[in-house]
Amino acid sequence: MRIISKKAGVLAATLATVLVFSSCAGVPAAGEHSENTSTTEIESTDSGSSDKGVAARSSESVDSAVDFEHELDEYEPHKDHYNFYFTYKTVHPWWDAVALGMEEAQRQFLDKGITITYEYMAPEGASAEDQTERLLAAAQKDYDVIGVDVADEEVISPVLDELIDEGTKVMTFSSSDASEDCKRIAYVGNTHNYQDGVDLTEALCKKLDYKGKVAILVGSVGAPCHEDRARGAKDTIAQYADMEIVAVEYDMDSVDLAYDLTLKILEDNPDLDGIVCCNMSNPVGAARAITEKESDAVIVGMDHDEEALKYLHDGVIYCLGVQDCYSIGYDTIQVAVKIADGNVPGALFPEKTDEITTVIYQEDAALMLELLYGDIL
Amino acid sequence: MKRKKQITNKTIVMTAVIGSLIVMGTMITNMLWTSRQTAMATSEAVGAVSTFYLEAMADRRAKTITNLINSNFDHMQKAVDFIAGEDIDSQEELRDCLGEIKSLLGLNRFALVDEDNVVYTQYTTYTGGSRHTFLTDAALNSRIITTVSLYGSSKQLCLAIPTPDLVIMGKNFKACFVQVDIREIVELLAFDDRGRTHFALYAKNGGNLSGTRLGPVIQDDNLFESLKGVIPDDVWEDNYRNFELEKNGSLALELEGAEESLCYVPIRGTGWEMAVLIRDSVIQDQIRNVSERSLKTTRIQIIFTLVTVLILATILLYQLGAISRAKLEEEKETSRSFRDMANTDSMTGVRNKHAYTEAEKIINEQIGSGELRNLAVVVGDINGLKHVNDTLGHAAGDQLIRDACTLICEYFKHGAVYRIGGDEFVVLLEGTGYDSMLETIRALNRKVEDNIKEDAVVVSIGYASLNPDDRQLRDVFERADQMMYERKKELKAMGAQTR
Repeated sequence: MRIISKKAGVLAATLATVLVFSSCAGVPAAGEHSENTSTTEIESTDSGSSDKGVAARSSESVDSAVDFEHELDEYEPHKDHYNFYFTYKTVHPWWDAVALGMEEAQRQFLDKGITITYEYMAPEGASAEDQTERLLAAAQKDYDVIGVDVADEEVISPVLDELIDEGTKVMTFSSSDASEDCKRIAYVGNTHNYQDGVDLTEALCKKLDYKGKVAILVGSVGAPCHEDRARGAKDTIAQYADMEIVAVEYDMDSVDLAYDLTLKILEDNPDLDGIVCCNMSNPVGAARAITEKESDAVIVGMDHDEEALKYLHDGVIYCLGVQDCYSIGYDTIQVAVKIADGNVPGALFPEKTDEITTVIYQEDAALMLELLYGDIL
Repeated sequence: MKRKKQITNKTIVMTAVIGSLIVMGTMITNMLWTSRQTAMATSEAVGAVSTFYLEAMADRRAKTITNLINSNFDHMQKAVDFIAGEDIDSQEELRDCLGEIKSLLGLNRFALVDEDNVVYTQYTTYTGGSRHTFLTDAALNSRIITTVSLYGSSKQLCLAIPTPDLVIMGKNFKACFVQVDIREIVELLAFDDRGRTHFALYAKNGGNLSGTRLGPVIQDDNLFESLKGVIPDDVWEDNYRNFELEKNGSLALELEGAEESLCYVPIRGTGWEMAVLIRDSVIQDQIRNVSERSLKTTRIQIIFTLVTVLILATILLYQLGAISRAKLEEEKETSRSFRDMANTDSMTGVRNKHAYTEAEKIINEQIGSGELRNLAVVVGDINGLKHVNDTLGHAAGDQLIRDACTLICEYFKHGAVYRIGGDEFVVLLEGTGYDSMLETIRALNRKVEDNIKEDAVVVSIGYASLNPDDRQLRDVFERADQMMYERKKELKAMGAQTR
């Protein structure tokens, strides 16, 4: 039984239509203020991975912000039971969405007579040390594949290499890959975090007419996705002489910390014009603080947190980059099965399976809320 | 007497006809009156019935969900008791056990949660602190009902119970929870509805949980978003407040001339409202159908009664007519018999003196009016009757009379023969009898003369024809009578008896 209703599919298609029309309406003139022409009122981005089968770049039409309609490819698994271990940065709704995609893939394999069991574990707070312990413990058990959402690429990448050397099959998934030279077998997730940071920041700059004071909230220190987005934000702001970065803070994926940090930034910079938020907790905490202080600072941020979407709906947040977590989870399971059977990246799956990010605005918030959370309070 | 019989027959017929018409008219009037009364009563009842009907329906469905929830809670507790009694040593055994229970209960998800908020299901083990809202409280002290709608998943009902004493693989478990797809609840509710009503489950804000359409106006959207502008603002606010306070209520909609009634009742413990909508015309149609079936039966009964009455009346009239006709014929026959008896001579069978008198009256009128021109009167008298009576007895005399009558009738075949006295006959001749009168008389006289020699019956004949001067039949009769006496003398001379 599929977990996603037909209604969700219809809504997704409707949303896609809205996104396409909105995108068409919002594309700025070429060469205007920025060399980066991918920043649009609504857009989707990916890394432009060289691997076959990877989703297309944003120049193509956006099919959907979240693709709930998946079918397993024609690959025939070698076994009738697989057991995986997945660990991710921290307990957070973002990864719950990834889990739903995983469960859909698990159900579809079960329909084919293939049982997939797995653990999907994370600490309450992001910690490279905790992740290392989990990985080493998992390696002692007989899992077919271990999947990692890398908490800190400098700390975790060597651990993954060690596991690979010991014969453990390891892949990375969700938002953060390991370092470039890591031996992990494959990655499924966002490969364009830097570009996401660029696109969100470009939208902010345009909104501010390319002048003003901006703060950057980052997630966990060392988390590749967060750091890449922050880098993209910094590089974008650096292009505009009248824009200034007044603060860069890490909330460690905590909404409460993001709130406190924003209050502090506003206290230090009462004339703050905008905030770039690089993870899911940043925009929620920032929006709470902005609302409380009645600041006019413009917030751009990442992900689909329900509270963030409501702030977007109410106009407190200017835009959000929504990643297709569902597809990340679904594709992770599908790639994990192939890796478990001894396959390597190539014809069956790419070394990096990319998933799209869609930037949405206030007019899209209601539809996205309905799509992701239903109309219930 | 005859006139009185005719009035009676007509009265019976008229009475039967008028009676039938009155019965039919009364029945038709009664039927029309009943129909109108029923229609009026139906209209008045619809409003009351709509609300009552919907409230009962919404309440019944709400109770069905409440029963489902209670049933699941009971099953969960039994399942936890069962797991506690099992000797589970590994995650694989726990997964197998959870799978068996999930299958037995037919649930989307049956899971246990340990003290670290790690969730154990048949296929997965995951950290669920952020995914399941009921886990945000460190301690779980009572049953919890929540609605799950996460990241595009189907909307589900989540039921959780605390498991304070459950220890598996050395770990303390804090909760057991199940998830029931709301679509399955809807299918359960729709089972006995047959599409007659629209119903939907709503969250407190009017969000549609069931995905079902609530009529053409509201469809499957947010209830209160759909009702904006459709109902007055104060009604909208009252009902919105009812939802927030988990109260029941009702409202009426009107779209394109069609009236709709909507009722909602809270489902205890869930924060949901069960709303049921029906077009008043549906209830009207149903009531009308019932009424029409009843009226149809009444009409059939009335028509059957009318037909029966008509058939019975027809049979009765026919029988009355037959009886009347038979009686009339009988009376006519009796009358004819009496009349014949009065005009017939009992001894000879020819017309008697009474008949002659009646005929004389008619003829006198005809003579008076001048319309009668050819008429002759023959007078015959039996010779020797007194002698026979005196010598041979009255029986012989009677026989002589009959013989004389036979003789006269034999010759005057085209005439009306009357016996007007003991030995006296009259024959009235018209038409053919008149034309052949002289030949007939000559032949009769020759016969009579022969009879004298043979001692047979002798009749003296005299005759006369109607003259223009005659004023009445008596004038002709007297001339014929005179002639008869003359003839009697002639016959006496020939040897016949005179008396």
